Amino acid sequence: MSETAKLSHTAALILQTVDNGCSYGFDIMDETGLPSGTVYPALRRMESEGLVSSQWEPEKKALAEQRPVRKYYRVTRAGAQVLEQSQKRYPLLGKLIPKSRR
Amino acid sequence: MPEERARPLSVRVSNAFIYVAALLAPSERRAEWKQEWCAEIWHRWQFLRHTGEWNRREKLRLLRNSLGAFVDASYLMARLLAPLLAPLAAPLTAPSEGTRARIRELARSPFSCLYVLAIPLLLIVLLSSGLPATRELLSARSHAPTGGTLLYMWLHPFIGGGDKGVPSDLVPAWASHSHLLEGVAFFNISRKPVSTAVVRDARPLLVFTEAKFFDIVGVKPAAGNIPHEDAIVLDHAAWLSLTHADPAVLGSKLHIGGKGFETDYRVAAVLPSSFRFLSRQPTVYLVQRVPSSAQVLVLARLKPGVEEKQLDRELTQIAQNVCYYFLKSQLRYQNWNSALLIPFRMFGVAALVACLIAAAVFRLRPKHLRAALQPENRAAAAHRAIFFAAKVTLALAVVFIGCLEWSRSESAVLLGSRDPGGGPFLLWLYILGAMGVLFWAVADQRARCRVCLRLLAFPVRIGCPGCLLLDWSGTELFCSEGHGILHVPHLSPSWDEASERWISLDDSWRDLFAHEK
Repeated sequence: MSETAKLSHTAALILQTVDNGCSYGFDIMDETGLPSGTVYPALRRMESEGLVSSQWEPEKKALAEQRPVRKYYRVTRAGAQVLEQSQKRYPLLGKLIPKSRR
Repeated sequence: MPEERARPLSVRVSNAFIYVAALLAPSERRAEWKQEWCAEIWHRWQFLRHTGEWNRREKLRLLRNSLGAFVDASYLMARLLAPLLAPLAAPLTAPSEGTRARIRELARSPFSCLYVLAIPLLLIVLLSSGLPATRELLSARSHAPTGGTLLYMWLHPFIGGGDKGVPSDLVPAWASHSHLLEGVAFFNISRKPVSTAVVRDARPLLVFTEAKFFDIVGVKPAAGNIPHEDAIVLDHAAWLSLTHADPAVLGSKLHIGGKGFETDYRVAAVLPSSFRFLSRQPTVYLVQRVPSSAQVLVLARLKPGVEEKQLDRELTQIAQNVCYYFLKSQLRYQNWNSALLIPFRMFGVAALVACLIAAAVFRLRPKHLRAALQPENRAAAAHRAIFFAAKVTLALAVVFIGCLEWSRSESAVLLGSRDPGGGPFLLWLYILGAMGVLFWAVADQRARCRVCLRLLAFPVRIGCPGCLLLDWSGTELFCSEGHGILHVPHLSPSWDEASERWISLDDSWRDLFAHEK
């Protein structure tokens, strides 16, 4: 995504939430109050645009804890830059999803 | 990992949603996609279970959230298909000049005009679930009561007055003295607020009548018995709408309110769904022994072979000899079967009136017809006539069927008028609709090429009304196929000797323009 790219408020909110440490889809839904039908397609789009990256957690760890493997999301460097621009564009973003909550 | 059987129902249903939604996801990402969603659901359930928040609300929330998987999977599939569909969608998003020209040509075509008219007709068919009112109207004769002719009657209106019912004491006199009637009963139509246990202040059709009425129309109740007085009979539509199809409706109370009329009545019977009294609207029958108003409408069944003239003579005689009524106006009769077809006749009259008005407004003259019948013009004129007829028929069908389905009435009786021919609302709706259609049809026809029937295009303004150096000023419209040009003059020059627009005044006008001396 180009540096001048603009995110919608919803996409910026999701990106901010991932940046705050909510790595899983359902956690992001909890934090933002957005439905799954919005959060997941937004994550897919941001992943394809290189703003977030996804990874499966180590299988060994999950097997040891007898639970299924989860996929988590992280903000990339490009995503962080776009987020910074979005925070200027949407000043309330930081207040809506403050880092201290996580 | 806990055993599959230990998973609660909501988790299993959520997983089932994921499995179904996975069918929408691209096959190469399906397994991974499914794994991610199922893992999220499992973790959510475990998290809530351990925090003690696994309750009904959270279960429903989980189900709702898992439905988002359908959107997610569709999004992935749409992204996959987007590059494939892009060339197909391109002409729609940014049409080329050629495509635009084709669209314009299509819009001018006479067939497009007919298709555009067919669309609202199709919409009416779909929205009304198959034209129930029209179908009922067309099959009206098939569900009309059998046996002798059924008539309902009222008095001819006095000049300057409205329609009148007949005096109510005539009905028992006719019932006991007439040799030509098989049965006779009074009825009156009204609209008052009706309340039941489940519905408040509904306004169904309220028919005040007597028990004999049901024998005359030949209907037996589907449930209960016809009461003799002060009880309610519901038709099937009223049973559905006023009691929500309550199976224990018999014996329940129904409140009829209104100015100077507020009483509770017992529901005594429900009529079968096949029976309707001139209306598709929910109807409540209040059975009375004696009519509550001085004037009533009358429903009568004639003996076979009796004619209206004979009946009129006999009923007038009885009125004079038994009740000493010397009726100042004629009794009016309406046959049941023909009453059902009133909307057809009303629409026919409305269309005829609209045709005459349109012909007058657009100055359609016999010389136009004569020119069209010349051998060299005949084929083109036939084309024009067929197109015009098809256009008007389709548009009138839209108006007629739309009005009929929307008004939800089979007879103007229901609109508060005693005379079915004078139902004001439906009639006005028809007249306005039919006039609108005819005005549009003539205006549209004027702007079409007389050869190919395409709408004329490329309007060019020539000159201006104030300076007529070019002999005339106006607008020229071209046929896109090159068949001709239509001149629309704004102001004709007065010096054009051949022009029909200059009318010389004869001597009869002289006095009007004589100067005072």
